[in-house]
Amino acid sequence: MKTEPITEQLELFGCIQCGKCTGGCPLARKTELNIRSMIYNMLVEPELDVHAHPELWDCTTCFTCVVRCPKDVRPAELIISLRGQLVESGRIPETIGTALMGIFRQGNPNGMAREDRSAWAQGMEIKDARQGCSVLYHVGCIPSYDLRVQPVARALARALTEAGVDFGTLGTDENCCGNEVRRMGEEGLFEMLVEENGELIRSVGADRLVTTSPHCFNTFKNEYGFDDIEVLHYTQLVAELIEQGRLKFTKEVKAKVTYHDPCFLGKQNGVFEEPRAIIKAIPGVELVEMDRNRERSLCCEGGGGRMWVEGTNKEERLAFQRVHEAADTGAEILAVACPFCLLTLVDAVKVQGLEERLKVMDIMEIVNLAL
Amino acid sequence: MAEKFEPKIVAFLCNWCTYTGADLAGTSRIQYPPNVRIIRLMCSGSVDPTYVLKPLLDGVDGVLVGGCHPGDCHYQSGNYKARRRIIALKEIIKNAGFDEERVWLRWISASEGQRFAETVTKMTEFLREKGPNPMRQKWAV
Amino acid sequence: MDPQPRIGVYICHCGVNIAATVDVKAVAEFAATLPGVTVARDYLYMCSDPGQRLIQEDIKAHNLNRVVVASCSPRMHEPTFRGAGEQAGLNPYLVEMANIREQCAWVHSDRGLATDKAKWLVASVVAKAARLEPLEAREVGVTPEALVIGGGVAGMTAALDIAEAGFPVYLVERSDHLGGRVADLNRIFPTLERVADLLGPLTERVQSHPNITVLLNTEVTQVEGYVGNFEVTVRGVEEPLGVGALVIATGYDVFNPRRKPELGYGQYPNVITSLEMEHRLAAAEESGPEVLAVNGRLPKKVAFIQCVGSRDVQLGHPYCSRVCCMYTAKQSRLVRELLPEAEVTVFYMDVRTFAKGAEEFYDEARKKRVLYRRGMVSEIYRRGERVILAGEDTLLGRPFDFEADLVVLAVGMEPRADAAELSSLLKLPRSSDGFFLEIHPKMRPVDTAVDGVFLAGCCQGPKDIPDTIAQAKAAASSALIPLLRGTVPAESATAVVDVEMCAGCGMCVEVCPYGAADLDALWNVSRINPVLCKGCGACAATCPSKAIRLQHFTPDQVLAQVDALLG
Ligand SMILES: Cc1cc2nc3c(=O)[nH]c(=O)nc-3n(C[C@H](O)[C@H](O)[C@H](O)COP(=O)(O)OP(=O)(O)OC[C@H]3O[C@@H](n4cnc5c(N)ncnc54)[C@H](O)[C@@H]3O)c2cc1C
Ligand code: SF4
Ligand code: SF4
Ligand code: FES
Repeated sequence: MKTEPITEQLELFGCIQCGKCTGGCPLARKTELNIRSMIYNMLVEPELDVHAHPELWDCTTCFTCVVRCPKDVRPAELIISLRGQLVESGRIPETIGTALMGIFRQGNPNGMAREDRSAWAQGMEIKDARQGCSVLYHVGCIPSYDLRVQPVARALARALTEAGVDFGTLGTDENCCGNEVRRMGEEGLFEMLVEENGELIRSVGADRLVTTSPHCFNTFKNEYGFDDIEVLHYTQLVAELIEQGRLKFTKEVKAKVTYHDPCFLGKQNGVFEEPRAIIKAIPGVELVEMDRNRERSLCCEGGGGRMWVEGTNKEERLAFQRVHEAADTGAEILAVACPFCLLTLVDAVKVQGLEERLKVMDIMEIVNLAL
Repeated sequence: MAEKFEPKIVAFLCNWCTYTGADLAGTSRIQYPPNVRIIRLMCSGSVDPTYVLKPLLDGVDGVLVGGCHPGDCHYQSGNYKARRRIIALKEIIKNAGFDEERVWLRWISASEGQRFAETVTKMTEFLREKGPNPMRQKWAV
Repeated sequence: MDPQPRIGVYICHCGVNIAATVDVKAVAEFAATLPGVTVARDYLYMCSDPGQRLIQEDIKAHNLNRVVVASCSPRMHEPTFRGAGEQAGLNPYLVEMANIREQCAWVHSDRGLATDKAKWLVASVVAKAARLEPLEAREVGVTPEALVIGGGVAGMTAALDIAEAGFPVYLVERSDHLGGRVADLNRIFPTLERVADLLGPLTERVQSHPNITVLLNTEVTQVEGYVGNFEVTVRGVEEPLGVGALVIATGYDVFNPRRKPELGYGQYPNVITSLEMEHRLAAAEESGPEVLAVNGRLPKKVAFIQCVGSRDVQLGHPYCSRVCCMYTAKQSRLVRELLPEAEVTVFYMDVRTFAKGAEEFYDEARKKRVLYRRGMVSEIYRRGERVILAGEDTLLGRPFDFEADLVVLAVGMEPRADAAELSSLLKLPRSSDGFFLEIHPKMRPVDTAVDGVFLAGCCQGPKDIPDTIAQAKAAASSALIPLLRGTVPAESATAVVDVEMCAGCGMCVEVCPYGAADLDALWNVSRINPVLCKGCGACAATCPSKAIRLQHFTPDQVLAQVDALLG
């Protein structure tokens, strides 16, 4: 079968080389990554030697370039496509290979045992969704296994229970959503996941699918073709429960909080207000904004496989810059709504020695304090 | 080998919107299948029931009626009249045991050349799937 | 009807426009075999003088009583060929066209299939032609006045030209003053003359012209009637105004950069639009450069960003706004003069200088040390009192974080927010970008789908002042055609009743939108007033007794077309 060249598939000839993509790319400022020039390169010399471009692994798939492009070219898709060539050739960073293998074998990038997937819920009564429920909760890999993130999932399960939401999970049968898999260029594995997960999730018959992570939310919402299932990020559901008076706060949290918009929630899917509505509803909390918020939120560098690969410039992390921006607002808490952001920013606060001044918490953890 | 089935479509287009939209598809060089044959009328509201029925009985595979978007008819309300008439007509066609899905009514404005081309393409594909109007064979024997 | 149809069929090559895709010779040969056809020919350009003469000579030599021309759309050349027939003594309604260019040659590429289709289209029209009946050409009188909507430079210019030709004009302007957007500007490229010097005399002439009635603070709320005789209701004016022609000159809106939140407009005092910059420059020329201060300091670094809201598919604004490059050159140049110490940088993706004198003006701006950097700004955020422009210099291939005190966004044009309302009031089509649609982008740039309604200025698409004025003058002279002639052709293809068949049910009276159908009190049969009838055919399609026929589109003719299509 003859396939169209990448330049045609991605309609790269539509590019006018305006530079808005590279101009907005947070990585272009610290590494060799220049997506605009790479597009031009592809047009002039389509036989690009992908192995000569280690910076292809720098991209976080934040999609700033996609959002900014005035000509509807989807620059980051070129990176994903070229990563596909790398994956096919087998010459990829070892850690990326391990993550992909973990997902293939155990359904999670850390290669943890499938049987332990529901360990996060220890001591909690959580229904198996297949008994019938109106909301299917997809916990996600990191919240299921990572000790720092598990409390977020527990807090959400508790809040849903208190609000009387009829929800369930797939327990140890839950599988990686594949969002990062696709973005690391493993299209084949991704398609397999879409098929398997799609079938399993549809079989539950729930009206709504809610996720902890904006990454799972993104792929379920935009890439799975769930026509009859409403896909929600948890901030959308929780904001709704608060609005309807079903979730009530009983305690105060006296704190100044600033909020970091995750790329996959904000920029890519336009969910800006719900997380803020939750924060503002918590008694005692004062929300202060960083200058770069909403559409201009600075990527934390955790997406697109970057959790498992260092990139070509590990010294200047965007997360470092971001925690300083947060601390400069005078906030005591930096609130996030994404497992990856939580991990990268917690780490950055430590490395930057800001632990005395700034604490990174998921919105759900703050909600949990006030319930 | 049997020849690939190519449907025949007769289109009645109002002069002010859809016919002009079809002209725009031309000036913009937007390509579409040659299966459609256009008859110009002044308004979709002048489409007499026999204009739709006769071709179907004679073995045409599809009839497309094109008019201005609601509210935009050059004669104020011809397209509303067409809508009412076509709905009733489809009911009659169905009750008589024919296939009412062969009749399409679409609003396409003078600026929607692209939409006209897309409509013809879609309708042609739809009818290719559906197969020939059974009346065709009836006349062929 | 003539006893025996003797039809002449003429297949046009349209140069190669048709002939490249359709085998015109084969179509002509095929046409010759059709019933009723006396001669069939093909010719390079049927609409040319020799082409028309060919038809006329054939009419005489072969005693033709019908003519079919297969060429471009009848919307293009029907009047041409009807006129040609008429000159040779043929009733114009006995000339019919087959559209084998727009609806065949230009939309198909397979020569065999396109030729086939062209044959059937010709057969269909020949079948109709054989059944055509002569109709009487009718004319109706014209109200010798005009109305212009919008009092910007376009509207004022059009009104003035019509008034100068001796006809009364109403100029309806929504705001409380004439001048439109130009009244908000400071100086005009490429001459750098002050706006007052351009607008003052024009406004003065309009206001004092005895033939012009300026209606400020009001709007058109209803339009009825047809070319030659429109009835226009204007808010606050008691009687509807009777006019023969209308000119639309409602202009444009400027793009609101809040729709690009990443640029920080509305958040930082450092970021302003070009329109706001015009005001500041005017004030600075008046009372000194201090007016240009931001956060209490005179700017040392001024940046301009082009194409904000233009050439952007994501916003649904795929078009170029055509003035931003030039007004940016103008403003940047004025800043260099007012603030000689300031560094001025323009960020652009392409610079377009097509107007007369424009490239020279752009050269001057650069020579005044305005630095043009190729690469668009992707986002703006704050650093202290200044802002950072994050973008890429695409010539250096390097991202930049450019600090600036003042940023001017070169916002583009967009259709007026209420263009849709005017569009439905007048049944005026708009193009996919939302501006009003001219009937043909090259041949008929100021005409619209509604006869007697013409377009001037930016309501049809972005333009600078010279182009606006040129178009306004074109619209005025087109509007003058019916006014000067005093009559316009009336619809001849009206509906007629066969009283023998009419059952007097009155359904036609109900459906006619023009009140043209009426039941005769004495005989209880329908009568259609040919002066009121517009030929929409709603009554004919509704009549349960089939007593009404829409002339020129009779069931007999239409069904013959269908039959012929089936081959
Ligand atoms: C920042 C900026 C700088 C520019 N600088 C230059 C320059 O230096 N040189 C140059 O050549 N061009 C310049 N232009 C372009 C110039 O503004 C336009 O070419 C010009 O305004 C077009 O005139 P118009 O009459 O078509 O539209 P407008 O100026 O928009 O006038 C339309 C008028 O119609 C009225 N109106 C709208 N709707 C209705 C309605 N429904 N009923 C009644 N009235 C209505 C409006 O109130 C307005 O008065 C500039 C544009 C901008 C944005
Ligand atoms: S933003 Fe889009 S058009 Fe501009 S250089 Fe990047 S890909 Fe090309
Ligand atoms: S997705 Fe983000 S990191 Fe990747 S190229 Fe685009 S802007 Fe840069
Ligand atoms: S004129 Fe187009 S539907 Fe009536």
